[in-house]
Amino acid sequence: MKIKKGFELRDVCGEHIIVAYGKENIDFNKVISLNESANYLWKNIADKDFSADMLASLLCQEYEVDVETAKRDAQALLDEWIKVGLVEE
Amino acid sequence: MNSSLKTIIKRLARFLLTPWRRRYRKRNGRVTNQPRHELPNDAWLGEVSQMLREGKPYAIYVKGYSMRPFIEHTRDRVFLEKRDSYNVGDAVLAQIASGHYVLHRIIEKQGDHLTLQGDGNLEQVEHCQEQDVSGVVTQYIRPNRTIPADDPKLVRRIRWWRRLRPIRRYLLFIYKAVV
Repeated sequence: MKIKKGFELRDVCGEHIIVAYGKENIDFNKVISLNESANYLWKNIADKDFSADMLASLLCQEYEVDVETAKRDAQALLDEWIKVGLVEE
Repeated sequence: MNSSLKTIIKRLARFLLTPWRRRYRKRNGRVTNQPRHELPNDAWLGEVSQMLREGKPYAIYVKGYSMRPFIEHTRDRVFLEKRDSYNVGDAVLAQIASGHYVLHRIIEKQGDHLTLQGDGNLEQVEHCQEQDVSGVVTQYIRPNRTIPADDPKLVRRIRWWRRLRPIRRYLLFIYKAVV
């Protein structure tokens, strides 16, 4: 998985906002705000190839969670990102 | 004029203009009242400004009614791009005071000095320098269609809108009954 080209995380007024620039993303009309943990994950996987397992291990490194919970949360987040159209294969 | 008479005139205008409203809405899409995530205007436009200067063209929703009838609040988005120079008739994103941004149209250009006015504003104008401008609207994105800023029909309409400024108040009244 990879974050689509033109998608970028920016900090506006203390919020972590995802914007999609460029002509190819002209139809993307959402402004997405990330919470702290999603922000942490995004910063670590931007410009990289990643998987749900990678997100889970990042969560385990930063937060005190067991592997099962981390995996479940990572998968849920990734599903959400796929649904919204932030990532591609 | 007292307010109840005003209301009656408004309702009458809406009623009389129903066929036009139907056509206009079909062509352009409707104004929605969906809840949206809103950011403080100046901070957000400052960030957008920064992006444009980095060479990243971007489409945004614009808040407010000052660009009526060409940009409608909650309905339209505009695609902004950076240019080397800007001309009269361009709708631009500009910093008009420290930390204060507007998206208005250039109505006068003298050297580097620009005068801006919102299409939907009657008297109010803003002043800035050309280097305060970070981008120009190149596409008007409406729910049912997208209009490039250099579309000849649109350019003609914008020119007429400027010429008819003395009666803008009344044209806006009609527009409000149609939108």
